[in-house]
Amino acid sequence: MANNHSATEESTKRHKVEGPKKHVISYLFSILLTLIAFATVMSGELNRDFIYIVLVGTALLQVFVQMAFWMHMKDRGHIFPIIGILFGVFIVFTCVIMAEYWAWW
Amino acid sequence: MSAHSHVEGQLPHEPEKATLEGRNKILGFWLFLGGETVLFGTLFAVFLALRDQVLGGPTANELFQLPLVAAATAILLTSSLTSVFAIHALHTHRVKALINWLIITVVLGLGFLGLEIYEFYHYVHEGHGFTTSAFSSSFYTLVGFHGAHVALGIVWISLIIGQLMKNGLNTTTAPKVYVAGMYWHFIDVVWVFIFTVVYLMGKVG
Repeated sequence: MANNHSATEESTKRHKVEGPKKHVISYLFSILLTLIAFATVMSGELNRDFIYIVLVGTALLQVFVQMAFWMHMKDRGHIFPIIGILFGVFIVFTCVIMAEYWAWW
Repeated sequence: MSAHSHVEGQLPHEPEKATLEGRNKILGFWLFLGGETVLFGTLFAVFLALRDQVLGGPTANELFQLPLVAAATAILLTSSLTSVFAIHALHTHRVKALINWLIITVVLGLGFLGLEIYEFYHYVHEGHGFTTSAFSSSFYTLVGFHGAHVALGIVWISLIIGQLMKNGLNTTTAPKVYVAGMYWHFIDVVWVFIFTVVYLMGKVG
């Protein structure tokens, strides 16, 4: 068992797995973006349009960080996943625009 | 290949992508997530269209308690980090650490679910039932669907923990862990939009 363990360590070193440090940084960044979003709303003094821009911006940024780093989309060989998700996003925007304008205009 | 822990040392660097079946499973799961994006997109579209139709019931601004939402967000975000640590343990072939991180992820998921159940219970007592208004129906459908995904993820990851304890880490169990990790991140990504669009924008009006 001990031998196997050291063999594992060695093969890991050769391939160099990316450390958890980058993930901790993206976690802290996500927390920061969340705090900004909550703070702009809770301050209660700001212009409504400004708050909306901040909210959409922080949400998109956070999703980008999480998908790129945590779901490994920045890695090689993720063309099909990106196409799949982008197709989903395209449908989403179509639905949202349709529901908003078709229902109320 | 036997499922003993002896094969551990022979596992490739990314055991989830070592077999064609594993790679296909991951690709198929990405396409599933594309479909899930569409599913949640339609629910978001309905919610956005109907969120002001309160029909005399409580409005979003009166109802939502941001500290509770912030706590739920922190819990889910942290659980996403612990599932990343689990995948890191998978890549370094540390089965024990992998199982422990997955257990922490499940416990945090349960905490999130508990908060959501408390929240819904509280809202119903405030007169915000499922059929109160178009706003309440679309709210419960969207947020409840997300909660159902969390509940499913908890059951799923728990079963994978059981398989890891029984069979150890091999090229069959590794893709399962990886795909479940992707699912958990997806749930977190959906929650980012829920707390932004439903709660924060609901509070602003």
